[in-house]
Amino acid sequence: MNAIVAIVRRNVWLPPLLVLVLLGAAIGIMRPSTFAMDQINIKVAAAMTLILIATGETIVMTRGGIDLSVGGILSLTTAICATRGDPGLVESIFWVGFVLLLGVLIGVLNSVIITLGKLQPFVVTLATWSILEGSALIILPAETSGVPKSWVDAEHLLVGGVGVPIMLLGVLIVLWAWFSRTPIYHSVRAAGSNERSAYLNRVSLLGTNAWAYGLSGFFAAAAGLYFSTQTGAGHPTVGTQYVLPAIAAVVIGGTSLMGGRGTLLGTIVGAFILTLIGDVVFLLKLQSYWQWVMSGLILMLVVILTSLTESRASRGGGS
Amino acid sequence: MTRWLRAPSPILLAYAAALLLFVLVSLYSPGFANPAHVATLVTLAAFIGIVAIGQTIVIVGGGIDLSVPWVMNSAAILVTALAHGQNWPLLWIVPLVLLSGCAVGVINGIGIAFLRVPPIVMTMSVNVIAQGLLLIVTRGFPPPLAPPALTFIAAGKLGPVPVMLLVWAVLATAVVLVERRTAFGRYLYALGSSRAVATLSGVPVARTTVTAYAISGITAALAGILLTGYSRQAYLGMGDPYLFTSIAAVAIGGVSILGGTGSYLGTIAGALVLTILTGVLPIFRLDAGALRIIYGLVILVTVFISAPPLRELFRRRGR
Repeated sequence: MNAIVAIVRRNVWLPPLLVLVLLGAAIGIMRPSTFAMDQINIKVAAAMTLILIATGETIVMTRGGIDLSVGGILSLTTAICATRGDPGLVESIFWVGFVLLLGVLIGVLNSVIITLGKLQPFVVTLATWSILEGSALIILPAETSGVPKSWVDAEHLLVGGVGVPIMLLGVLIVLWAWFSRTPIYHSVRAAGSNERSAYLNRVSLLGTNAWAYGLSGFFAAAAGLYFSTQTGAGHPTVGTQYVLPAIAAVVIGGTSLMGGRGTLLGTIVGAFILTLIGDVVFLLKLQSYWQWVMSGLILMLVVILTSLTESRASRGGGS
Repeated sequence: MTRWLRAPSPILLAYAAALLLFVLVSLYSPGFANPAHVATLVTLAAFIGIVAIGQTIVIVGGGIDLSVPWVMNSAAILVTALAHGQNWPLLWIVPLVLLSGCAVGVINGIGIAFLRVPPIVMTMSVNVIAQGLLLIVTRGFPPPLAPPALTFIAAGKLGPVPVMLLVWAVLATAVVLVERRTAFGRYLYALGSSRAVATLSGVPVARTTVTAYAISGITAALAGILLTGYSRQAYLGMGDPYLFTSIAAVAIGGVSILGGTGSYLGTIAGALVLTILTGVLPIFRLDAGALRIIYGLVILVTVFISAPPLRELFRRRGR
């Protein structure tokens, strides 16, 4: 028993993966066509916005912080994408770069306010979320379909049956494998597990925060780009629907809210669980609102289990 | 009193901000200060103020309550569905609904105190579950109109004084007395400053946590009931804006989101500031987007003013 607890503690993404496999099996039994390539493309495409936002949130939460402004960045970037008219190739590259850079800048600004003011990330990013969502509403007062057609077409390309979302997911995993070995990620983890000792070991808190929140902003902007090209429309208030699910996906994936421990694999699994719950509810012919009840229950269950294994391990003399 | 004069207290600053805003807007647009309009503003502020009672208590205790919106909404729907527009049944319905709000709070508290679920995750899951269950039960359709008695309390006046002001004043007095004069109040501040120290000094940590969330459940339910009276009906989504405004009122009022400091007196000023800002919009022909930007900026400025580095500066000068 203790051996199992030890394995789970080292690989926090194992329990959520088990839940995902069970969910997948249930869906597969009810609708065998689910595992056809086109269906997998659709599922990954549906989960990708959440995965991108939750990737940034994973980094910030590993740092021991929280970033609510990702909702505002998502709304703002979809608003920008939907108001670009019909740009040419060079212009398109410029705007894509601009949107991603804007996300980074907003994130870095968050980190500067948090670090220099010694303020709580929750309050600061709540405020910037409000500011960004307001800006999105000014740029684009209501939902419209105005995302450049060439962008939408590019995002819907299929290469040998494999869609862009799956390729993005692959790139994301490879990038993470590299990033999680860099000194930057190590200082993010160190600062997240014990800010004071990290500081005494010459980890720059401002620099670490700038990386964590900057990357969070980058991924939120990427999610905005992806969402706009996926749906072809700009939604100036869509961010509100993604902030809490993003945090939920990270937590289900085993990243600790206290910081110091995080894994992208867990987060991806968490995002897929939240996305597939909708399928299960649909296949069981329940009212769609059951989706919310179930995701709330799963989130609570996972966290209670994690906290129980942790207290068990610490009572057994583990660190 | 002398303690207040040494450095600008966040609470005084919040009241000064509310007063300054009010005077400036009234100078620009004289209709703003006429008694009928002030009565409306105070009534609207009272709704934020009542939800923020629970939010203040929970945040002072080092937590946060994200389940406020759908506790409010459930209370509103329950009251109208059970009362069928009749006044007399309210005598048993209102206590019953407040009790169910209390029950939700107790669930939050148990999860946080005994199962060690982080407050953000616990209250977020409870919110999602409540939302799902409510939509399943109502099948997305809102129930009948609110009983007239509720409308009188929420929108009526005794002479020139709105009934809501009286309700709010009574509740506010009670909250401040609880904060300052009761053992629970002292436990709450101790728990908010340091859970570990509070436990070691014999503070009943679990009981205090559960009580704090129970109070928040009750005040959210009460606000939901009263808001139904004001809008004359319950509708789905009516509680959503109050998640942001209740936390914002607390933050503007100078309560540290880390817990352990602040007072409901500050939250009252926060609720007034937020309501005056909403009232300013039509005068300057600003839209919803601008309001969100202003909300965000106000929160940033107020938390920055009471931030540790700036206060440190004032303290040094005082010496």
